[in-house]
Amino acid sequence: MANNQPMLAATDISNPGYSVLFALLLFIGASVWLGTLAQKAMEKKEFLKGFFLGNRGLGAWALALTATVQSGGTFMGFPALVYSHGWIVLLWIGSYMVVPLLSFAVVGKRLAQLSRMTDSFTVPDLLRERFADPRVGLVSSIMIITFMSFTMFAQFKAGATIMKHAWPGSGVLALSEDYEPTAAEKAESKNATDVNSNKSASKPIDRKYYVGLIVFTVTVVGYTLIGGFLASVWTDLFQSVMMVIGVTILVCLAVPMAGGLEQATKTAIANTSSDIAFGPGYSTIGREFLTPGLALSMFFIWIFGGFVSPASMVRVMAAESTEVMRKSICLLSCYNCLIYIPLVMTCIAARTMLPHLDKPDEVIPRMSMLVTEGLPLGAFISGLILAAPFGAIMASVSCFILVISSGLVQDIYVRFLHPAATEAQVRRATNVSMVSVGLIAVLANLDPPQYLQALVVLSASGGGAAFTIPVLMACYWRRTTAAGMLAGMLVGFCFYFGLSAAGWLQNWAAAAPEGSSFARSVIDVLGPDPKIGVPGLFRPYYIFGIDPMVWSLVVSAIAGIGTSLVTKPPAEEHVSRFFDVAVVK
Amino acid sequence: MPDIQELPLLKSAKREALTALGIWLAATIYSLGYCFQNGYGRAPESLTYVLGFPDWVFWGIVVPWGVCTIVASIFAFWFMKDEDLPESGQ
Repeated sequence: MANNQPMLAATDISNPGYSVLFALLLFIGASVWLGTLAQKAMEKKEFLKGFFLGNRGLGAWALALTATVQSGGTFMGFPALVYSHGWIVLLWIGSYMVVPLLSFAVVGKRLAQLSRMTDSFTVPDLLRERFADPRVGLVSSIMIITFMSFTMFAQFKAGATIMKHAWPGSGVLALSEDYEPTAAEKAESKNATDVNSNKSASKPIDRKYYVGLIVFTVTVVGYTLIGGFLASVWTDLFQSVMMVIGVTILVCLAVPMAGGLEQATKTAIANTSSDIAFGPGYSTIGREFLTPGLALSMFFIWIFGGFVSPASMVRVMAAESTEVMRKSICLLSCYNCLIYIPLVMTCIAARTMLPHLDKPDEVIPRMSMLVTEGLPLGAFISGLILAAPFGAIMASVSCFILVISSGLVQDIYVRFLHPAATEAQVRRATNVSMVSVGLIAVLANLDPPQYLQALVVLSASGGGAAFTIPVLMACYWRRTTAAGMLAGMLVGFCFYFGLSAAGWLQNWAAAAPEGSSFARSVIDVLGPDPKIGVPGLFRPYYIFGIDPMVWSLVVSAIAGIGTSLVTKPPAEEHVSRFFDVAVVK
Repeated sequence: MPDIQELPLLKSAKREALTALGIWLAATIYSLGYCFQNGYGRAPESLTYVLGFPDWVFWGIVVPWGVCTIVASIFAFWFMKDEDLPESGQ
């Protein structure tokens, strides 16, 4: 892609040469190597549990640094938000101060216990046994597979795009996506709602993209197929460590170059407006980025979307012991401190060094090239920093492939289609399902759907809305019935979906040409665009300025608890199996 | 004569879950409350800096973030109880 805008930085950093490609190959090589190590580690044990759960042997580091799956968005979407809106984004991500604690302390121990009691290694399997009802398993399984597929397909595209741009001379700066005329505005909108950022293509795609897609897919499916769960966790751990090293190098170089943090803020104010240092954030298009209502919503979204996401529940189930969980709380808390606050500081400094970027998504790649320039091994260091999002994307994709194919194999194939399958058959089914997931992802991304990002947001937050309350009920409330679980999951998700769809409709109506009577009646009912949050087609409908996820939690709780209370209580001896112990006096 | 009791892990897990939710609530109330008070709708000239951070960012987010990290570590090492996890399938 030609870089057709005037260079903004003083140096020509549009072509980093081979360093990025080299760093990417290093990531790929390390991942494949970890995959083969993982295969050795799980060889002797029972296949399914070893492959999908690493024989329940995760240690503290592996659990802590991979449980809240980071994705490419941490290095792309989030920095773009800081660059665009300023200090307020630290409040947007502020609930990460308690995410580590809540990730393990709310349901961690209990899920680990229940998954062992039921001898299950997928979430639907656990729920199915807990309620002795195949419907609970089937519904949760279908929801998890669907949600994760959308998110995963989007990550494939991001991975392929990064590979494409890594070719020397292709203008690596557009790490995120192809340039569009209104990229700054669009990027803002699309990244904000979900840090798992990726965008829909609206330009013809060239051959490099296909090469990137194939290389990416073969690598990720390959090492996941070889090493299973452990391979996925270990590569995730590897990229998390690379990430913290990259962020530390960046902040240590960038802040002094901007003249210190206070000076950086003052320069940023001078270059934009005083809004960049206050809430609701700087905006060039008159939209309030983080109103108090939305700030409150974020303190729910990150917490309750996090600990019930299938990826993190599976990791907790794989933990070796409760001691490992305790250590993970501490490790992850420290890790988050080292990632998010320094990233914000770096992007504030970027307003001094790169005051007017057209594409805020490029802030980290550009900064990393700018600050390492002139250092010994500078190109190599910036290559590593640039490759970090790629590592993050590989790690999350491999985790998604595992959860999806474990769902297909265990929850669908073994449970419903072929209960008497031998180990060799299960192994073959696993290979077939993983390769097919890869193939489908490639096919889906040959011509990436336009509105993929909407589905990604819908899946991530919708998953939180669907599972938070039911999982809590399954863990702690004896009276929970299978019908209550189904009601909690389905109502939570449908309510979320309904409010999102209402937002899309409202947005469409606001942009519709004058004279459309349907559009006018939509606006009459839903009200005009509230001008808050992020711009873009897929803004949800905010009731009282609060995100739909918060309302969905409330509605899901009412539906789940209410339905449980009006249905027949579960059999006491069944519940007792999970709640009681007989003590001999 | 065996007596039926609640699983020990369930008991400690409930206590820890409630405490963790309490910490989340406290952090949310403090952090949002402070930032709404001091970070929104303020005269730009009144902005001061603490260690380079705008004052409301420092007291409203950075400090509670540090406190939460310490509290989480205390929680992990002194409050949360280790329990035996059953063998698979029991």
